[in-house]
Amino acid sequence: MKSIQYAGLALAIGFAGSIQCAEARPVSYPSGWTVMQMNNGDMSSIHVHYSPTYSDSIGLYSERNWDADWHFTGVQYNRLVKRWNRAGSQANLYFKVGAGQADPFGDGADVEAAGFVGLGADWETRRWFVAYEGRAYDLGFTQDARQSARIGIAPYIGDYGDLHTWLMLQVENQPESETPTTLTPLVRFFYDVQLLEIGYTPETEELMLNWIVRF
Amino acid sequence: MKSLCLAVSATLFAFASPLALAENERSAEATSSAQTLVTAKVNGMVCDFCARAVTKVFGKEAAVENVHVDLDNGEIHVTLKSGTDLSDERVATLVKKSGYDLVSIARDAA
Repeated sequence: MKSIQYAGLALAIGFAGSIQCAEARPVSYPSGWTVMQMNNGDMSSIHVHYSPTYSDSIGLYSERNWDADWHFTGVQYNRLVKRWNRAGSQANLYFKVGAGQADPFGDGADVEAAGFVGLGADWETRRWFVAYEGRAYDLGFTQDARQSARIGIAPYIGDYGDLHTWLMLQVENQPESETPTTLTPLVRFFYDVQLLEIGYTPETEELMLNWIVRF
Repeated sequence: MKSLCLAVSATLFAFASPLALAENERSAEATSSAQTLVTAKVNGMVCDFCARAVTKVFGKEAAVENVHVDLDNGEIHVTLKSGTDLSDERVATLVKKSGYDLVSIARDAA
């Protein structure tokens, strides 16, 4: 019985492999605020959160999914489950959960209670960056899932306060999408409290534009 | 003649004492105004955002005058205000609160 429960949990987490882009860290420093705005041809989202500690953040999340025709708005909680600090590297494991409401926009359908769960993980040195994120939605009228992974390299190592540049490659999988798997090369610029990502997905001919600010 | 000598001595002493006292006060003031530079070596500090977190957390401490982060060496350099102190335990707490692991602490005159 216990093994069945574990298998169910593993399956749920596996399905939870719906992700938003393998984004930046979903927690900030104590008393820090963050605004994350993500856009690609399939979805646009905004996430505003406050971190009471370095391992928690809570805020509002809203996503319009242009590909699957739904809109979610709700509260999101992010938890840094585990951090591995090493000399010259850092790795993190995150859990995310959201609860709110969703509606399939455009057809006049009723709003329904909705939620999602997600997992994220990353490993970073000053030269290399690797990340994975998965997220699964239950929107009442439908379910959705996606996952993505990234690898990145910094072409130069900047000091604190410099403009930091990363060249990244993102692979994203959305089983329900017309193009389930896509590859997106992107450039990340990080300066002061601002992070900007610009990418392009050849398979769908879509532009990616992400922006994060922390204060 | 003897009374004249005593009068001169008393006058000199009266003037010299405040000067000596002032000198002593200046010396004590110089000792207490010496700033301390605390260097904390930490693990996990690999990006500008990490450095910003550390700067924010340490910067809220009343005893801290300036925070400098050396990403190359994984070090936090904290200059304390004159006459203040930041215990090792407090430094460890602040590093932990920033999200990183303390390796060692060193102290020097700033």
